[in-house]
Amino acid sequence: MAVNAKAVKRRIKSVTNTKKMTKAMEMISAVKMRKAVETVQHTRLYARLGRELMEHLAHLDEPNVPLLEQRPVQKVLAIVISSNRGQCGSFNANLFKKTKLLFEDKENLGAYRNELGVDEKSNGQFDIDIIAVGKKSVLFGKKYGYNVIAAFDELSERPSYEDIRPIANMAIEGFSAKTYDKVVIAFTEFQSSLVQEAKVRQLLPFSAKELEKMTQKLPTEETNTKEGAYPIEGYLFEPDIDVIVEEVLPRLVEIQLYQGILESSASEHSARMVAMKNASENAGEMIDELNLTYNKARQAAITQEIAEIAGGAAALE
Amino acid sequence: MITFKIVTPNGVTYEDDIEKVTIPTGDGEITVLEGHVPLVSTLSAGEILVHKNGQIVHLAVSTGILEIRPNSEVYLLADTSERAEDIDVGRAEAAKARAEELMKQKDALADVDFARIQAMIERETARIGVSKRYRDVK
Repeated sequence: MAVNAKAVKRRIKSVTNTKKMTKAMEMISAVKMRKAVETVQHTRLYARLGRELMEHLAHLDEPNVPLLEQRPVQKVLAIVISSNRGQCGSFNANLFKKTKLLFEDKENLGAYRNELGVDEKSNGQFDIDIIAVGKKSVLFGKKYGYNVIAAFDELSERPSYEDIRPIANMAIEGFSAKTYDKVVIAFTEFQSSLVQEAKVRQLLPFSAKELEKMTQKLPTEETNTKEGAYPIEGYLFEPDIDVIVEEVLPRLVEIQLYQGILESSASEHSARMVAMKNASENAGEMIDELNLTYNKARQAAITQEIAEIAGGAAALE
Repeated sequence: MITFKIVTPNGVTYEDDIEKVTIPTGDGEITVLEGHVPLVSTLSAGEILVHKNGQIVHLAVSTGILEIRPNSEVYLLADTSERAEDIDVGRAEAAKARAEELMKQKDALADVDFARIQAMIERETARIGVSKRYRDVK
């Protein structure tokens, strides 16, 4: 067996280094994931109170604000939230697969509720523009030929609420100006550190149901407000309902987007954590195997040497 | 007692059972006591005074929504909020100066930017005011 013991030794060293690296990445991702989850939980109360308020206002009368307006879909804006970096398993691939699937299902994507309150399917004749959050979604947009109107690839690891405002503003303005008739957001929902699911949700026209779906996920620690009678009829509104709805709605849209981004961030980190964990384990196995090979090679060399010495001695006799 | 909570997107910044609170709304300052009529109003940037056991807590808030629920629960949904002692006056002043500088070049600005900077100036002014008053009292 002509295995070069020295080369194997070198290989072992290099794999050991790789293992150290993946191990470190795994631990860092675990911390980052925890922080992101924490931030998501902080936003939850705000989102819930805002949503409750909106629901109660909707009881009173149908608020007539631009952000709630349902209209036939001629153009869709999709905010696709991916990671900036790779090394996170199938995180981005899953998101893009799901997004692509939905983009192709235009009848449902373009569905809207008409004046009579009936859901109507679209004829599928509309374009999709993309706001890319994260470098990978820019690539996604380019690859499949969607029009990427903006790219936000410099968000920090833990984006603050202020950071995401420009994104929300862009969506709100586009919708208000009737450039887009529907805004959706594609993100990865964080269910647990092992399970993440790519999701596409409607952002505009605003729907309290969609927001509720988003905020109810994840184990909640605070649901302490007293349930029960909530006689909104007795409420005073200063200055009036419309002004208040106009204040609340954009904030809820922002919150929904913020949550999508935070959940994606949590998912990204946990996906990376799992990927790196696997990598570390594989590296460990590889090291074991290489060690075996190295020992065999060493043993073979020794045996050969002894055989040579014995052979030499025998020749002298 | 009033159940009082200030909620921002970054979490709950203040939470307590209190006796009285003064809040700046879009239509002027109001003071809420126990048993206040249910009310929803807008919040403007300014100072909040929380009275509890004869003590007064100063807080700075920026814009948002104010909701008073029937059983003396008061919720403020604010964009930001801080206790007076946590405000970094130096930073607040720098931020205000920066915003005013931007304002001077307003010809080049769109309406949206203008509104945003205006809001920023208001917010920083409120923070500086709250912090200064707090320091004077001390």
